Amino acid sequence: MTIAKALSGRPIRRRRERGVLPLLLGPSIVLIAVFVIAPAGYGIYLGLTDTQLTGWAARDPQFVGLENFRNLLGSEDFLASLGRTGEFVLWSAIIGQTVLGMVAALLLRTKWLRGKGLFGALVLLPMVVPEVVASLTWASVLSSDGDGTLNRLLGLFGSGAAAPLQDHPMASVVIINVWRGIALAMIMFQAALEDVPDELIESARMDGASALQVFRYITLPLIRGPVFLYLLLTTITTVGVFGLVYFLTQGGPGQETELASIYIFHRAFQYSQIGLGSAASVILLVLLMILGLTYARLAKVEV
Amino acid sequence: MSRNRVLATATAGMLLTGALTACSGSGGDADGPVTIKLLEYQEPRAKVVKALIPEFERAMAKQGRKIKVELVADTLTDEQFHTKITQQLHSGTAPDVLDMGGSNVTGLAGAGYLLKLDDYLDKWDGWGQYYTSAKEAARQPDGGFYSIPHEASLQSLFYRKDVLQRLGVDTSQPRTWDELIGRLKKVKAKTGEAPIVIPAGTAWGGGTWTEGFLPLVAGTGSTFYDAKSKKWTLKSKGLSATFGLYDELIKAGLLPVRDLQNPNPWEPTKYKNFVKGTLPVSAQGSWGWKFDWGPEGAAPIENLREKVATWDYPALVPGTKPYSISGGGYGYSVNAHAKNPDAAVELAKWLSSGTPLAKQLVTVGAVSPRKGLSGTAPYKNEPSLLDAERKLPGSILPPRGDGEDQVSQAVQSATGKMLSGRADGGQAAAAFAKEAKELLGDNRAAE
Repeated sequence: MTIAKALSGRPIRRRRERGVLPLLLGPSIVLIAVFVIAPAGYGIYLGLTDTQLTGWAARDPQFVGLENFRNLLGSEDFLASLGRTGEFVLWSAIIGQTVLGMVAALLLRTKWLRGKGLFGALVLLPMVVPEVVASLTWASVLSSDGDGTLNRLLGLFGSGAAAPLQDHPMASVVIINVWRGIALAMIMFQAALEDVPDELIESARMDGASALQVFRYITLPLIRGPVFLYLLLTTITTVGVFGLVYFLTQGGPGQETELASIYIFHRAFQYSQIGLGSAASVILLVLLMILGLTYARLAKVEV
Repeated sequence: MSRNRVLATATAGMLLTGALTACSGSGGDADGPVTIKLLEYQEPRAKVVKALIPEFERAMAKQGRKIKVELVADTLTDEQFHTKITQQLHSGTAPDVLDMGGSNVTGLAGAGYLLKLDDYLDKWDGWGQYYTSAKEAARQPDGGFYSIPHEASLQSLFYRKDVLQRLGVDTSQPRTWDELIGRLKKVKAKTGEAPIVIPAGTAWGGGTWTEGFLPLVAGTGSTFYDAKSKKWTLKSKGLSATFGLYDELIKAGLLPVRDLQNPNPWEPTKYKNFVKGTLPVSAQGSWGWKFDWGPEGAAPIENLREKVATWDYPALVPGTKPYSISGGGYGYSVNAHAKNPDAAVELAKWLSSGTPLAKQLVTVGAVSPRKGLSGTAPYKNEPSLLDAERKLPGSILPPRGDGEDQVSQAVQSATGKMLSGRADGGQAAAAFAKEAKELLGDNRAAE
């Protein structure tokens, strides 16, 4: 009786669901269409024109087809900025934040560590600080003048003034971005580690597995999904990092820290070439989509 | 049902109120005072103008015109200002009157953001007193005027007389760059530090173009911008010589390459080492006398007139002579969408005349762009500025034309490549020609 009722009720429920579905999805579809798809579509259109904000040519933008893309893909400066972005993502996000975030999460899971609250708070702090504040604070710490915090500290040991933002600009921004990003990695990995059953780890330990072996053969395979998800997220956000680096170096010295995002800002807004800047953004978007799909495939996660 | 009606009535009410508010905002009150927003982005300029505004309002009230001026003082660097004002003008949110350097005007006027002032200037007797060089510098590629210049400047090489004399280096006017480089090498041999700064690279932004590269290339005699065909010549003897000069200075260790790549390159060079005397020569506009090194400037030098003097630019290519160059200056432009353009232009004219003008010139260290001010206090008490004004009519006018922003960008990028050691003079000249051609398109680049 119950089964028959249920069977007979299904089509009605489906029909009802079909009716409710557009209502539930509608607002998000409209929001995505207005704030994501339409600007992206407009960006692609602008990338096909020579739109600029200043000069007589600004009055009459022309359709130039793929010329902006051809210019960009043949431009040493743009390709170099992509290379620098890759370097920045690799060292700061994929290696720095992921490894140190994992270490922090594992440390917080251990039983012997004292002062976990303080440790967790210290790691979280950089994420709480607004980007501009973080950036300007570091600019003050690393200032090449004698009154920078780092140089004052070095002075205590009798060392001469250092100028890390000029002598090692990429390494400096990588370290600062790692400092800022560990927190998110730690939170995500901590949550993932909660799902690893203690019994599995304990039995492996009883069978004589070392801590490293436990991590490599038990913990890591079990949290592969969240790790790849984090890698996907951090890659996307790190490619888009702008303020942190711009306030520290403005892409310099020379072009040593001109990441793709800064290259786009310079071209689109400082030099007012919206068409060229949009084309560069489209190229970056395509590269990110390829990277994202690769991660999703590797992790076999549904995003 | 009744709830729906209430909702519908409330929505209609809100829409009506909104529409009425919008209408009342755009209409304005013909009898009430007219409000003009004036933008200043440099602190000293904002300060002096702030004190002048009540005088202007009183002067207008005497004529029976109720004009109120609201000062928008937004302290920004040149680059930040350019980026911000472009966005504001594009989105229709810019103030009515803008005080900005002449190099900004071409691009903004071209895009149609600024009001053409020709009709106003034709009727203004003050316009007849302007030096031809100041007028020509303000004339835009379409032949019209989109700013009222209230400053002129003279670009030359400032040097520390006291330091060079102490080091036993000749301080007479160098005839050629070879002669000057010989002297600079002597300084370097004694101090071990780079002795000359000429703006270069991307960090100095537009200054690399207006204060660094342009004054050099303009003295070579090669055509850079042809006003008739409205095209830029991207390869010439003069351009090669200019890139070659940067190259020579970099290779001989005479240019502070590292400091020029600092995000604020003027700080370690002009504000620190020139003041200390370890970098005794600086390519600089006449505003250096007040704005940079004056008693209330960014980095004051005591007894400035005794310690610092200027040279004309030495000749770079054979057959040319030492020269000084008109460096342009700030001017007041009016937003093309200003609600009260007449009042806005009135403010611009008033600020560009008589005592108000003299006060501004002295504050920033600019030369008067118009005759007849040498007897007006406090300008009449500034011998360095009066000297520069005397030289103004004989100075070279730098080439200006549509596409200047793009040429400036290509210059910054090419000189930046030299600073980071990625290009020599020849490679930089080729990279400049390639990038500028791409940015300008075929219409604005000569073959």
